Amino acid sequence: MKSQSAEKKYLPDMPQKEVEELNASVKAASERIMADNIERMKKTDPNRPAAMQYFDEVSNFFGMRQKEIQEAKAQGRKVIGYLCVFAPIELILAADAIPVRVNSGWYDTSKLGDRIVPVEVCPVIRSTIGAKMIDLSPYLELSDAVISTLTCDGQTKLSEILSDAKQMWIMTPPRVKDSAQSLHLWKEEIKAIKTQIEKLTGNKITPKKLKEAIETMQKATKAFRRLQDLRKGNPVIMGRDAMLVNQMSMWDDIKRWTKKTEALCDELEKRAEKNEWACPPDTPRVIVTGTPMFWPDNWKLPTLIEEATPQGILVGDELCSSDRVLYDPVGIDEWTMDDMINGIAERYLMASTCPCFTSKDGNEDRVNWLLNKVKDTKAQGVIYYVIRGCMLYAMEYSRVKKALDKVDIPVYYLDTEYTREDVGQMKTRVEAFLEMLSARVDF
Amino acid sequence: MVTTVGIDMGIQTVKVVVLKDRQVVARAKGFSGFEPTKAAEEVFVQALDAAKVAREEVSLVLSTGSGMDMAPYSNGTVSMMGADARAGVFLIPTARTVVDVGAEEARAVKCDERGIMMDFVVNERCAAGAGTFIEAMARALEVKMEEMGPLSLKAERASPINASCVIFGESDVVSLIHRQESKPEIARAVFDAMADRISSMVHRLGINPDVALVGGVAKDVGFIASLKRKLGLEILVPEYPEFVGALGAALTATSRAKGASK
Ligand code: SF4
Repeated sequence: MKSQSAEKKYLPDMPQKEVEELNASVKAASERIMADNIERMKKTDPNRPAAMQYFDEVSNFFGMRQKEIQEAKAQGRKVIGYLCVFAPIELILAADAIPVRVNSGWYDTSKLGDRIVPVEVCPVIRSTIGAKMIDLSPYLELSDAVISTLTCDGQTKLSEILSDAKQMWIMTPPRVKDSAQSLHLWKEEIKAIKTQIEKLTGNKITPKKLKEAIETMQKATKAFRRLQDLRKGNPVIMGRDAMLVNQMSMWDDIKRWTKKTEALCDELEKRAEKNEWACPPDTPRVIVTGTPMFWPDNWKLPTLIEEATPQGILVGDELCSSDRVLYDPVGIDEWTMDDMINGIAERYLMASTCPCFTSKDGNEDRVNWLLNKVKDTKAQGVIYYVIRGCMLYAMEYSRVKKALDKVDIPVYYLDTEYTREDVGQMKTRVEAFLEMLSARVDF
Repeated sequence: MVTTVGIDMGIQTVKVVVLKDRQVVARAKGFSGFEPTKAAEEVFVQALDAAKVAREEVSLVLSTGSGMDMAPYSNGTVSMMGADARAGVFLIPTARTVVDVGAEEARAVKCDERGIMMDFVVNERCAAGAGTFIEAMARALEVKMEEMGPLSLKAERASPINASCVIFGESDVVSLIHRQESKPEIARAVFDAMADRISSMVHRLGINPDVALVGGVAKDVGFIASLKRKLGLEILVPEYPEFVGALGAALTATSRAKGASK
């Protein structure tokens, strides 16, 4: 174990043997789950787009992408992990470092996290801690530093706990967007992170480099939006497939990902012309929102929706682990350093729909984003997904429900845990919800 | 004429309803036991015999309930909430909320005049809002479960049970017994605690009268009285409330068989 300081404040000193054994067993289970998820996705859409094969490959945590990053590291490149979509990717790219998201989607490791923090704590957090305890996450292990944004209590303490093992760079987003100070404060955070990145990598972020990085990300955004647009019509792609593509943007080489996503979109457009659908066009259309869902274990809700009887299709989501990731490009007027930093600060703060925000008239951005998404994708229902312990999302539900009630879109609050044990109960609820959506249309 | 069957595979009991053109011609019930599929086969045969209907005459069989996938002879499934809405409005045409309290689960379904569910909530995997809670408390009080309701009606006031969890509730009851509270008062407290949970569930959905109460627990006079007090509303209970799930499945089967989409 590569520990930061000799004395750990939080993480237990586990015997190397135990770490190895647990690592091997969770890793083996994870490999099975990844393969199973993909198998099931193929079964749901027997005519699955050929371009998906590439994303299946990158989605293996212990596969080619891990090796690639290892090799890049051996040649001196730095890896910067991040825990939240507030991390300014453009700056990482401009310093020729590799950005990777490191939140954990493993159920098994959340139980290990219980050794350090109480079970009431958000499972995403507990599971990330557990993954560190047994060095499971290749991306977290490979990170030279981790950017942590203090969006909620879980993230705040997680940063502290991980600092036992990793160099943590903390960013504090203002909790109010519409105040004069906020953007100013956030801009200072962005500048501070820029300095950190330059120091770690030894590479100066020049205006030319930054411009290139912004353009790279703008291209990625364009491909991302193109895929989202394609989901607005008849189902050309199952929701899980699109979700996998979206998530892989956080692990893959972003330029290659953009190319592959464009190729996928080309294929999907051709299918649409030939009226080839991933599932019947009258399949109930669902959007999920709430706590982020991470590959591979926390794939259960999308799986339940798309494998249910009656079947549903996920046509979009409002999740910071999927449709929100690359949706907004950095807007630039003039390519000066100051303007670019401004553009980045604005994009990561103002465009964010994280429930961590509040304002004097309520945090309306998230609700509006969701309402637009419902309209755009012609969704017939929304599943509001919360894993127990995730307060921000849980507490915003009643407001979101009211807004959806007004436009007569049914919403179902589905709470769960990082476990497979409640799949049966979840299935009953999801199926009842889908049955309700179809009954509403075709009684 | 269309003959259909609905099977409700509950946790404790299996219920079967046979319909001829939306008219109930037979009902049958049996314990689920360790082999629910086998138990359901028996109840199914029993129901057909009682209805004097031959297997071949049945156009469609639909199942519902937590064990719906284990139902024999079934051509498909209907969610428990969908079945509740459908049968609840069929039996009580003015009902717009159907509350179903079974052995281990409780749910509330909002529905429209056609019996289509518009929204629903399910209690959070907790037996304190369902039938087994009454059973456990009856055990602690050393009375028969059927006696709990009538007993509670004799209470002049309620003793509070703080925790409505089966385990903590049980120890609460024990301490009430030690404090020599009267049995009727304790019984009433048990129903009040349950009604508390169910009513907050209904409130989360939004109260939408009329409220119909169905499921096995809807036969308990003690619970009905408590829920009435808590909601401040008249509670409508159909005849044979425990057969509502099976009836809903059978009604849905009739619509599907007639091709009138569901
Ligand atoms: S999922 Fe919710 S509780 Fe968990 S880290 Fe994110 S915002 Fe915090």
